[in-house]
Amino acid sequence: MSQPMSVLIVEDEALLAVELGFLVEEAGCVPVGHALDAAVAVQLAARHRPDIALVDVHLADGPTGVDAAREIAGHHGALVLFMPANVKRLPEDLAGACGVIGKPYTDRAVRRALTYLVGCQARGCAESPPPPGLTLSDAYAARWGVHQLEQSA
Amino acid sequence: MSERRDTFRADSLLTPRAGIDDPFAAAVHATRMSMIIADAQAPDMPIVFANDAFLALSGYARDEVLGRNCRFLQGPDTDPEAARRLAQAVTDAVPINVDILNYSKDGKPFWNALQISPVHNADGVLVYFIGSQIDVTARKNAEDRLVQDREGLVSVATEQTRAAEQALAERTALLHEVDHRVKNNLQLISSLLVLQTRRTEDAKTRVALQSMLSRVSAIATVHRRLFQSRDLARFDVAAFVRDLVGDVSSSREEVEVDLDLESIDIAAAQAAPLALAVNELLDNAFAHGLASEKAGKLGIRVKRLNGHYVIEICDDGPGLPPTGRFEPGFGLTIVGLLAQQLRAELRFEPTNPGVRAILELPVNA
Repeated sequence: MSQPMSVLIVEDEALLAVELGFLVEEAGCVPVGHALDAAVAVQLAARHRPDIALVDVHLADGPTGVDAAREIAGHHGALVLFMPANVKRLPEDLAGACGVIGKPYTDRAVRRALTYLVGCQARGCAESPPPPGLTLSDAYAARWGVHQLEQSA
Repeated sequence: MSERRDTFRADSLLTPRAGIDDPFAAAVHATRMSMIIADAQAPDMPIVFANDAFLALSGYARDEVLGRNCRFLQGPDTDPEAARRLAQAVTDAVPINVDILNYSKDGKPFWNALQISPVHNADGVLVYFIGSQIDVTARKNAEDRLVQDREGLVSVATEQTRAAEQALAERTALLHEVDHRVKNNLQLISSLLVLQTRRTEDAKTRVALQSMLSRVSAIATVHRRLFQSRDLARFDVAAFVRDLVGDVSSSREEVEVDLDLESIDIAAAQAAPLALAVNELLDNAFAHGLASEKAGKLGIRVKRLNGHYVIEICDDGPGLPPTGRFEPGFGLTIVGLLAQQLRAELRFEPTNPGVRAILELPVNA
């Protein structure tokens, strides 16, 4: 890969955000910003055009992560990965996000998921089913040919 | 019986006390069924005959009744629709039955089950209407009470259902809120441990912090699993093991993992201690059994056998020390305590190469 992928972190817990920053770097990506609420998240997405956005659902301004994700994925073209505590409350289409890691996650699960998404995005397809802890949206599973992989496996 | 004779008899009634020798006329006078006859050909169809029962029912004297149209029985709460149907039937000269609210002379309302029939003479000309009245106030009131009772019951039931639904919604919201906070706090604890590990240079401290992280993660996995399942009171051991191994073994890809997991449910209260024990045994297998270069196979089996849940964790490493037992470090001390709590038996068997840790807990602990 010529250039490392840029990652926007949208998380209202400061300590979690700091730790996510480390994990992003360990997965070979570059953190480009951190937002505590939806408005800043959308601003930063517009300014930095990140390749990937890690988005919590409950932000400093309430349960605004889903709308922010829709905007960031739809208008700014980022791969959005949800990291909510309440996976069941996400909309069916995941608001245009590529997938979800439910809290509480492990550091390993986040690194694996990031590495996997970077690979899929770079190649345009998946080489393996998603790693433990990561659930892909139907749209992205189809886009990256994950169902065929699972059928042949 | 011919039309002519009927008509004749009706005529014979019209003079009070007339036709008293006629058994028919006598009967109409004497019956307790209230009856009136109205002249269909006179303007506004006045009453030309009323029997004693009608006078008793309505409270009027005969001379107050004769010559008037019978609509004087209607009053303020009479249903206009019932009155309209009545008028229409009279206009069309067809029979009608209608329950209508009437008023007696003292202003007291009563429900009148009214029947009116047209009477034609031999030439087919409409000459009279004959009306009979039955006081059905008692039945009507009973019906109204039934309707009111039913409506009352329905509204009580609706209110109770609404209250129950609201209570359930509040409980669900509270559960989600608690779930959300617990998950966030577990995440926070994990992240704190990872952050501190990053800044720790001392190797022993790092290992201790990583062990603590692994324990917290095991508890976190339990919590995630419990809230994903439909039944909050039960915990799927096989699903937990799959999650745990999936996470741990991803950083040790050279290790070949063989899972043989029967689906078993334990009570939610046992989930955390069992998960911690399994996590400890798994860490032990990775740290000791699978640390050696030759070793590379991890086997985990979960099954139900003779009234026990059996969980086996095997590695193909160097096995037990010559003493036949591990020196109990902190991790194994924890497993021992948790096994006691779960009323489970813990033992280690040599598998040559390697070792098999076996945890057996009674199904109805």
